Amino acid sequence: MGIISRAFKNIGKNWYRFGLFFVTTAFWLFFAWRATGFLNSFNIFTLLRFASVQVMVGFAQMIALSAAEMDLSVGAIGAGVAMFVGALMQLLGVPYPLAILLGMLLGATAGFVNGILVVKTKINSFVITLATSSMFSGIMFITTKAKAFTVLPQGFVDLSRVWTFGLPISPLVWIMLVVAIVLYFVYSATSLGRKILAVGANRRAAEMSGLRSSKIRITVFVLVGIVAGMAGIMDAARMESAGPIIGTEWLLTSFAVPAIGGTSISGGNVVVFGTVLGGILTGTITNGVLLMNVSNFFVNFFLGLILLLAVGFDRLQKAYRERTSVK
Amino acid sequence: MKSGKSTFILLTLITVMAVLLSACGGAATQPAPTATSAPTTQLKPTATAQTGKPNFSKIRVAIVPGGPHPYFLPMKPGLADAVKDFGLGESVFKSPAEWKLDAQNQLIHSLMAQGYNAFGIFPGDANASNAIVNEMVGQGIPVVALGGCLNQPTKTSFCLATDVAQSAYLGTKALIKALGGKGKIVHFTGFLVDPNTQKRINAVKKAVAETNGAVQLVETIADVDSQEAADQKINAYLAAHGKETDGIITTAYVPSTVAATALRNLGDKRIKMVGIDDDPIVLNAIRDGYLVGTMVQNPYGQAYVGAQVLAYLKTGCQPKADAPHYIDSGTLLVTKDNVSTYKEEVKTLTKRISKTFVDKYLSCSK
Amino acid sequence: MTKRKSDLTKGRGRSAFQKFVSSDWGRLLVIDVVAVAIMSMVSKEYLSTFNLFVITRDVSTMILIGFSQAIVLAIGQMNLSLGAIGGLVAVTSGGLMAMWGWPIWLAVLVGLLIGVLAGYLNGMLIVWTGINSFIITVATNSIFLGLNLGMTHAKPFYNISATVKAFGQARFGFFPYMGVVTIILIVLMVILLKYVVFGRQILATGGNWNAAEISGVPVKRSVVLAHIISGFMAAVAGMLWMSQLGSAQPMIGVSWLLPSFAIPIIGGVALTGGGASIGGIVLAAFLLSIIQSALVHLQVDPYYVQFLLGLLILSAVVLNELGGRRRRA
Repeated sequence: MGIISRAFKNIGKNWYRFGLFFVTTAFWLFFAWRATGFLNSFNIFTLLRFASVQVMVGFAQMIALSAAEMDLSVGAIGAGVAMFVGALMQLLGVPYPLAILLGMLLGATAGFVNGILVVKTKINSFVITLATSSMFSGIMFITTKAKAFTVLPQGFVDLSRVWTFGLPISPLVWIMLVVAIVLYFVYSATSLGRKILAVGANRRAAEMSGLRSSKIRITVFVLVGIVAGMAGIMDAARMESAGPIIGTEWLLTSFAVPAIGGTSISGGNVVVFGTVLGGILTGTITNGVLLMNVSNFFVNFFLGLILLLAVGFDRLQKAYRERTSVK
Repeated sequence: MKSGKSTFILLTLITVMAVLLSACGGAATQPAPTATSAPTTQLKPTATAQTGKPNFSKIRVAIVPGGPHPYFLPMKPGLADAVKDFGLGESVFKSPAEWKLDAQNQLIHSLMAQGYNAFGIFPGDANASNAIVNEMVGQGIPVVALGGCLNQPTKTSFCLATDVAQSAYLGTKALIKALGGKGKIVHFTGFLVDPNTQKRINAVKKAVAETNGAVQLVETIADVDSQEAADQKINAYLAAHGKETDGIITTAYVPSTVAATALRNLGDKRIKMVGIDDDPIVLNAIRDGYLVGTMVQNPYGQAYVGAQVLAYLKTGCQPKADAPHYIDSGTLLVTKDNVSTYKEEVKTLTKRISKTFVDKYLSCSK
Repeated sequence: MTKRKSDLTKGRGRSAFQKFVSSDWGRLLVIDVVAVAIMSMVSKEYLSTFNLFVITRDVSTMILIGFSQAIVLAIGQMNLSLGAIGGLVAVTSGGLMAMWGWPIWLAVLVGLLIGVLAGYLNGMLIVWTGINSFIITVATNSIFLGLNLGMTHAKPFYNISATVKAFGQARFGFFPYMGVVTIILIVLMVILLKYVVFGRQILATGGNWNAAEISGVPVKRSVVLAHIISGFMAAVAGMLWMSQLGSAQPMIGVSWLLPSFAIPIIGGVALTGGGASIGGIVLAAFLLSIIQSALVHLQVDPYYVQFLLGLLILSAVVLNELGGRRRRA
């Protein structure tokens, strides 16, 4: 009960954060008006399903950012875990819930390796994970020869395919929302979350106040590994294929989604539901621009412009809010 | 001061937004029938006229490649010629702006929503694209794969493509012949995540193995699909092993152009090379004697025959029970002898496939 | 200052060599030299004129890509659009030459101008809106790439001037002409950051925004200037790549993102701003190029390349760090 009332209090205090929500809604209305087929239930279904994986990728990086770290290996972990899970199901016939669990364990292991390396060598996590990213995908290439696993059990594929509650919403979307709620809980109501944010805000100060920062940072990388692995598994379900292509395009997404959502790149704060909106907003814009039949070679141009506008409006009303609150 | 700044930003944003909207609006209204087009439904076989020349005016074919790539450009005239020759309705060739599976999927969704009712696609991913094919076929939209196949099980009716393994094999054979049956060769190819890359690596190895050791494969270099990486790795290779290398086989577009440029820069006509595709850089290198030849594929014919087949499929024809799923769209070795005439050869080849396709592979209920 | 003093007291009696190794870029230099020495023993062609040319030419552009990111890192920001700027500049200047037969100097000038304008746009947007540089440049990256593809439809310009093509291949002995451009820019960067007021203001801005502002540094101007320099460096790199490839390829720059960060960071530039080690950047660019060419020389199986690339980078940075730590211990 305490959490819920706290959540409401948070909403009341930070209502201006909902600017992103309004911007996203505005884009939905606009595309519904101008883009043929946007409100087609089939389009909504695929849009939300795609966005849910984007959001998960964003969550993975968001966790790293919250501790002022970066993890460039999220894509490599995602691909490796997805292919591992695919191999377990296809080659060994492991039931899919167990395979997913083992996959998350592999993600945690990869994250642990990152964490240990970052803490022990004291080298910037950017450089470490740049190298381990190459190594993780290297191990994947060596063991699988980059061959995709496509004979996946029905139950696993259904995770992306079926409609839930008669709505055009894939189970993947609900999984993402559950993860969002868990993360919100972790950051707002557990000591672990507070410690992560303290380390992210100022590591030296956190250490001086008695926190064991190395343990916390390793935990952070383990969490990143688990979430990145989940994103990989979800992407495999979405594409009905566990292949090496997963994760190859995640790098920018992973930073952009939380950043648009208001998470600071330099650490110390997170906006969990901002990340959710960030993923949905970028998914919506990509989808809508394509539907509007813009000359295909200019799609990128308009994507950039709209992203700028969306974020601009959000920040502008925030600035307005801050100014009026001062008065 | 501060409010002045905010007002300024707001005005800028509004101006940009206005420009943007007018630009989008203009673009959106250009294909006129879009807004009023009929929803996608299975056209009844009755649409087939009795005269023997079927009426395809309600067939609206969309051809969607995997991303922007010069390889796909001949598909546009191929589709246009098919629209003319077979009397199809308004059709479109539209490329995703980036090589991203999701960009392609979203583009396909939007074209479906705009009423295109038959699709030829280059699968953005040989496995993962099956998901969207299932969705399309589920809505009564026939799909053929063009330029690359999807892995089985797939609901695409046909796959019209170059046999990549065969092309790599024949190219290596041509190189070995040019070398007089012996020597050391190197293989440059594309992204490892592309399943075709594995087929190409194996096909080159197979052709080399058939020489019983007379030809040796010094090295296989992959992941050279970006211009910069190709230039770095190919020149590094030439520096390391250029002297002992007699031949180069390339089986991907970018390394082909980059290796051709590298040989030209070295002024080296000793090393023989067989490339792939018909980028002007490659064709000029053949004319000037830096390349033995190049393996040309047939994207024109893939689009032409693909559109034709889609029209028949949409009007009630079915693939025959014994029809193969994969149809070779043909591959051609272009050398100095036919470098100026090969485009005609490609069209002749296309007409040949087109003429016999319906009788050979389709069963149509009249 | 204090660090140097403590070094002096601790390092009493150390040889000049030890001091050199413990300097900022000395360790990287040692690692580079050792790597080249190992490779020259393993591969007899490694020290051949042509191979040295190939490596030096690659490094020439990689250094500029590193600079382009480093100058923005120095003010505590990022530029994710540098690859798109490089590509846009390459196709516009190439297109002006190929389609309208513009003279080289004019096409190059326009190219540089576009780079500067793109950087100016990035900087102004960041300063005006107060939005994080990461988001702004993600968006402008998309805009610049979209302009590039919209103009070219992904088709390269082949008929660029023969002089430009020849420039990319020309060399004195092993040293590429392109390297001369890079050396000039290295010298300019050193002068800028050490002796020119606004260069030092850039570093001050990155070191501590508030302190810089209070002490009268025009912070916003520094931000815009840093982005202009970044755009300029990316523009030069884009045109050098056009010259090296012999055609204006629209996809130039797409693969620059990771090396643009890796080079300065391995070279000792902090992500949080306030510094830029020119020597470190140059040596880090060499290190990456040496590792990449080693994998080709050693005829590594393509499926093992990724793994070994990661392992070698990791080993190099760990060695570098351990050397540094012994100094501090």
